[in-house]
Amino acid sequence: MILLWLAGSVAAGLILRSEIDEVFDSALQEVTQRILPLAYSEILNSDPPAAGESPIQRLPSVLPHQEQITYIVRDGEGRVLLQSHDADPAAFPALMTPGFQDLHGLRLYTEAAVQGTLFVTTAEPISHRRQAVIEAVGMLLWPLALLLPLSQIGVWALVRFALRPVQAFEQEIEARGHGDLSPVNVIALPRELAPVAGSVNRLIARLQRALEAERGFTASSAHELRTPVAAALAQTQRLIAEVPEGAVRERARTVEAALRQLARLSEKLLQLAKAEGAGLLAETPQDLAQVLGFVLDEFRDDPDAATRLTITLPSSGVLLSRMDADAFAILARNLIENALKHGAADEPVSIVLNDDGLLRVSNGGAVVEPETMARLKRPFERGGSSATGSGLGLAIAEAIVAGAGTSLELLSPVPGRASGFEARVQLPGIPASR
Amino acid sequence: MRVLLIEDDAILGAAVRDQIAADGHTVDWATRLDTARDCVGTVTYELILLDLMLPDGRGLDFLKARRAARDATPVIILTARDQISDRIAGLNTGADDYLVKPFDLAELSARIGAVARRYAGNPNPQVEIGDLTIDLAQRLIQRAGHPITLTAREWVLFEAFVQRPRALVTKAQMEERLYSFDAEVESNTIEVYIGRIRKKLGHDIIETIRGMGYRLGQPKRAAS
Repeated sequence: MILLWLAGSVAAGLILRSEIDEVFDSALQEVTQRILPLAYSEILNSDPPAAGESPIQRLPSVLPHQEQITYIVRDGEGRVLLQSHDADPAAFPALMTPGFQDLHGLRLYTEAAVQGTLFVTTAEPISHRRQAVIEAVGMLLWPLALLLPLSQIGVWALVRFALRPVQAFEQEIEARGHGDLSPVNVIALPRELAPVAGSVNRLIARLQRALEAERGFTASSAHELRTPVAAALAQTQRLIAEVPEGAVRERARTVEAALRQLARLSEKLLQLAKAEGAGLLAETPQDLAQVLGFVLDEFRDDPDAATRLTITLPSSGVLLSRMDADAFAILARNLIENALKHGAADEPVSIVLNDDGLLRVSNGGAVVEPETMARLKRPFERGGSSATGSGLGLAIAEAIVAGAGTSLELLSPVPGRASGFEARVQLPGIPASR
Repeated sequence: MRVLLIEDDAILGAAVRDQIAADGHTVDWATRLDTARDCVGTVTYELILLDLMLPDGRGLDFLKARRAARDATPVIILTARDQISDRIAGLNTGADDYLVKPFDLAELSARIGAVARRYAGNPNPQVEIGDLTIDLAQRLIQRAGHPITLTAREWVLFEAFVQRPRALVTKAQMEERLYSFDAEVESNTIEVYIGRIRKKLGHDIIETIRGMGYRLGQPKRAAS
């Protein structure tokens, strides 16, 4: 559009210049023809110059002004007989040829009279004409100088406004990850982009199906792995119950201990596989306070846990969050197990889930050094603890929170205390109405 | 207590069956749902142990059908599916408890005892009868702080009275409880065991309802 405007301005300038030349030439010719009889009469009626006086008559101006058109009257031999007050004879040619002529930056027009014995030449600076064209084209161009930044700002604002739903769409897609595969909201999108959103949602649905199949495989693997371990453990326990006290029973107890260890480790590896898989965010919020209740119920037969666990649930008794219930159960179970195992045995383990969805699990014990804290989330890292454990608890918790788009914060000492350890997770997707 | 075990894994099923029998309960073991349906159609069970993934269907569908048929028999789910959503679904369908494989057999015994007590209307494992203190979970009986030992068969019979303090227990019901020991039950076996229990715990502990059966007595607290 700008180029078009510029081309139009150039064309207008060229046309204007041609028209101005035509009009100004006509004016120059008209002036010359008007001056000619007047000059002739003036020369005839004037007295001959006195001795030592210049034969050139210079006509004074009536009022002071800048003379755009000057003239000179010469005789047949080129002597100047009459001139306008601003005329410079040197700029005029010595020999006049009737008609138009460009010389020394002047546009000249000459008329001859009295059988070639009197010549009148009028002159006008060519720069005057050029100036007129430049000013006219300039008048055409200056709105462009204003329009250009204005239109740029307008276009920028318009594009920004028009792209707002596209940006929101981009952020929606960006927010999807292996933890969140819910469909993208397409209601506010421009009609042109709606098919793209439809394709994205179909892709997400295909991905979801693939990941659900993977999850189903993990669940089936868990079933296939757990059942033989359960069978071996149960048979060993029956053996312990049925054989008399002695070497065989002791050996059976050793097998039982090994099977328990195998069960724990396979359990943790399955949890880690699940944590690194998909579906860590549910499409609709779920009550995680109820899920936490189920997790705590798992510790009811552990006499150590029964005496050490202190629990604070949300005041309403309900906490809605988009974190998947199973993922949250694994997270909470691992944080509680970690606190029970590695915290001071004679100090309570506090579990707090507040109304804003902040889960805090804290235990007593010596302050954990910062360099040890940095390593705790790595698999098989025990942070110098002598307690027996898989060393996978915090790695599983970290994988879950990362997949769910939140973070696991480890603090030591517990804020407000001189010792202890606290794990904090801000649960994702808490409904805004809370 | 007569228990139906529904479990398709032969090795695990055998160990669970032996454990329950050793606790003094009578066990029927079904490895398929259609067999289990036949069992519940012909025998009245006091507890069902239910696996969730069976060769001919899902355990939850079986449970749903039982509850729809107004069958209130306590059910403990034994499953390798550890997801909390499965557990919530199981409990919402009407299961009474949930054990994830692999589990300790001692844990299973404790859960069976707890569910049985809950259904008997007395969830507290500590029961006092006269000057006797009975811990149903630990299978301990004390009188004035002194333990009294019952044999496994005596305990199985005595537990039936304690679980339903005012209910009549027929001779046939008691004979069924003793089947789990694979022993020959003679015509006077029940009378012999009732006599032994009375000898250890006091004559008033069990009342005879002539021609019908027995009931838990109301022995007086010994004067201090």
